[in-house]
Amino acid sequence: MNLTLNVNGQNYPVTVSDGGMPLLWVLRDLIGLTGTKYGCGIEVCKACTVLMDGQPEKSCVVDVTSAVGKKIVTIEGLSSNRSHPAQKAWIDNQVPQCGYCQSGVLMSVAGAMQAGHHGTEIMSEVQNLCVCGTYQRMKDAVKTL
Amino acid sequence: MTNPTIFPSEKTNALGRRGFLTSATGVFTLTFVLPEFSRFTDADAASGGQVNAWLRIGSDESISLTIGSSEMGQGSFSGLAQVLAEDLMVDYTRVKTVQGPPSLVAPVPVGSSINTVGSGVVRNNFWKMRDAGATARETLVKAAMNQVNDQTRANFTVSNGVVTHTPTNTALTYGTLANAAALLPPVAIATLVPDGQLRLIGKTLPRTDIPLKVDGSALYGLDVRVPGMLYAVIKHCPSFGGTLTTTPNKPSGAIAVVPTKVIAGTGRGTEVTGNVNAVAVVGTNTWDTLQAAKSLNVSWTLPSTTSNLNSAKFLSDAQALAVSAPAYIAGGANPPGTLYTVEGSAAPTNAAISGSAKIVDATYTLPYVAHACMEVLNCTVSFVPGVSCEIWAPTQSGKSVLQLAMAITGLAANQITLHTMYLGGGLGRKAETDFVSQAIQVAMAVGKPVKLMWPREEDFTRDQYRPMALVHGSAGLDASSNITGFAYRNISPSILGQRGVVLGPAGDSQGSEASNKLPYNFGSRVIEWVSHPSPIPVGFWRSVGASINTFAVESLIDELAAAAGQDSYMFRRSKLTDPRWIKVLDKVADMAGWSAGPPAGRARGIAIGTAFNSIVAEIVEVSNATTTGLTVNRVWVAIDPYLNVNPGQVEAQMQGGVVHGMNAALYGQQTFVNGAAQAKNFNRSRMIRQSEMPQVAVAIIPNPTVMDRAAVIGGVGELGVPTFAPALANAYFKLTGKRQRSLPFFPGATMGG
Repeated sequence: MNLTLNVNGQNYPVTVSDGGMPLLWVLRDLIGLTGTKYGCGIEVCKACTVLMDGQPEKSCVVDVTSAVGKKIVTIEGLSSNRSHPAQKAWIDNQVPQCGYCQSGVLMSVAGAMQAGHHGTEIMSEVQNLCVCGTYQRMKDAVKTL
Repeated sequence: MTNPTIFPSEKTNALGRRGFLTSATGVFTLTFVLPEFSRFTDADAASGGQVNAWLRIGSDESISLTIGSSEMGQGSFSGLAQVLAEDLMVDYTRVKTVQGPPSLVAPVPVGSSINTVGSGVVRNNFWKMRDAGATARETLVKAAMNQVNDQTRANFTVSNGVVTHTPTNTALTYGTLANAAALLPPVAIATLVPDGQLRLIGKTLPRTDIPLKVDGSALYGLDVRVPGMLYAVIKHCPSFGGTLTTTPNKPSGAIAVVPTKVIAGTGRGTEVTGNVNAVAVVGTNTWDTLQAAKSLNVSWTLPSTTSNLNSAKFLSDAQALAVSAPAYIAGGANPPGTLYTVEGSAAPTNAAISGSAKIVDATYTLPYVAHACMEVLNCTVSFVPGVSCEIWAPTQSGKSVLQLAMAITGLAANQITLHTMYLGGGLGRKAETDFVSQAIQVAMAVGKPVKLMWPREEDFTRDQYRPMALVHGSAGLDASSNITGFAYRNISPSILGQRGVVLGPAGDSQGSEASNKLPYNFGSRVIEWVSHPSPIPVGFWRSVGASINTFAVESLIDELAAAAGQDSYMFRRSKLTDPRWIKVLDKVADMAGWSAGPPAGRARGIAIGTAFNSIVAEIVEVSNATTTGLTVNRVWVAIDPYLNVNPGQVEAQMQGGVVHGMNAALYGQQTFVNGAAQAKNFNRSRMIRQSEMPQVAVAIIPNPTVMDRAAVIGGVGELGVPTFAPALANAYFKLTGKRQRSLPFFPGATMGG
């Protein structure tokens, strides 16, 4: 099955044998955008969060066919130079430790900001799992957003 | 941003280990071996061409520090660069850290920096890194002396990588001196920056890896993409100890099914060398391969002993051993179930306790706990028969991987290349090499590069877990509330025993750590450790034995304080004389405003302990306890690591350690039915999200004004964990009047999407 996905403003033709392949693996394996992470595969940890038409979605459970026609934004497309306010706040506050979950966290933050949330209320929209436990610095970082 | 797909083989081949060591024109290379470093010598003479850390200063003003240890979020790469920059006298941001290869340097360094364990990277290399910076600086100054033909050192100053000859005001950058310095023998004596003039050590500085972790460009093991690569998904026997009956037919959508066996040195407990305990399903992408693996029916053969591998039996075995266990016999077989005396003596201690005015007797139990790193286990291998084996792995054990690859492939060390990738958490699990051994086997079988992944369910159910434990403690108080005796027996599976270590009279040091050498005035004491016979694989889990023993010890101390009718902080303080312990205890009490007490409806508990030569005390404040949950409102942490390099990073590790301790104390456990682990994903193994995060305040005992080389520097990375659980349980007692002697607080807690 041949499909075209719009990711970070660019069209990518992809060929899948299974239309049920989650967007996560299409991004990582077929397109090569590895910033979006696999954590649990059951939409619990949210490491795989991307934006679809501005909404945070868990790409591990989004069938690729349902992503066709949507504008998909991954961590690689958040900015070209780490200039998104959330990225700057994450650097300023030295949030990441291992960093593995942070792509998904930042996409959740970006989605919340796009929905009009500001400051500490952003965090109520961020339910991503961080095993390193960087939550306190996340909370500090969103205060400026 | 453009497609970030990077082929690490291309990226890192430019830094091939041999080429890197060959002294290139215009590059001053200072070779130093960590952590056994004692002197600087020429690279090739030092080690036959393999070292595990080195410094290069290029004529283009570049400065790079290559480090063989692993970066898993603990920030030790940046920490080492910060220490180096101090004595090299350059801006810290100029030091580029480069991931180095493993080393077979002989004599094999004990606790080598290339095995990233024991919270040890920065503390074990602190003085060596300082010496390296100073030696490089002074060698560059020597080159400047030669150039301006003035051998009076006092006529030269150094500032941010520029050597200035003050009489002539001639400024020479390190880059312009690198060529000449490369031809000089490193100076024999180089003075360190005086303690009072430190610019960097002890200052909060940003970590160099963080920008890569906010834009998706940091490459973790699972992100490796090699041209022509296939994808493999592991599928183990669901029960520990089981083996493959027959190799299944290849399912549709798969390219191959490869049985994998337990390679010597990688299997623990039930997983015996040579057992085929898994198959790898190989395909063209992760998803199709996952589906093929799911559809594959595999026939496994279980040994008759599998029916014994049940959590209920593990507990009853421990209960029996708490009452009666045969003592260690020198030269004897000492099978599992043997009692080892770690410290002190049983008879006088038991006599002292039995004659006491008050006696506290309690049993504490802790479960097996999975590591559950955010990044599942994975490894990518490209193998060319008889020629080369290239490995990309998120590993804490570069040297072990190199040795393993040599053993499996028969190749020589110089035919094997390991790329240590960023680790999406290590937590001790990625110090093991079972997953690496499987990837090598699969790559050898299919003849193409392969990335092997453990699905999350395999990661949870095939861990090498934090050991379960049952601890029986008893202690007495005299009429003046002095402790008369302290008897402590920990029954726990042996981490070292499962790694082939023959245990001596004191048993497993990993099992007993943080229960012995305690500075409390116990009167008489006996500390015992019993090897529990459970063969469920166990391993090193962030803070290891301290995560078990600090819970039991500090709970028991708290029970003594309650029996004495005394404040739990002041009771501890009255039993201590070690000034460092007292200072840490006072600090955390002061931070929390302990004497003023908690707000209405809340309660606080306190605990103190030591691990990896640091002392940590925590106070935990709780409220809203129900049968299904509680609120942790605030946590205060005080740490004395002797000296710290980057206090902001220490704070981050303490905050993270609190969360790690909280995940385990509230929810963490793995249980077994007929050898099969029951919690298979995060939905059945809850961890906290941001909404449960308490406010954590961290205080670091200030660095000494005079740094003593002979003093032991403490670790940081694991130190937030051990004191959390007992401080929580002690707070819970204050809040509810109930002692929580069994962890986790809320077994079976689930987590939804």
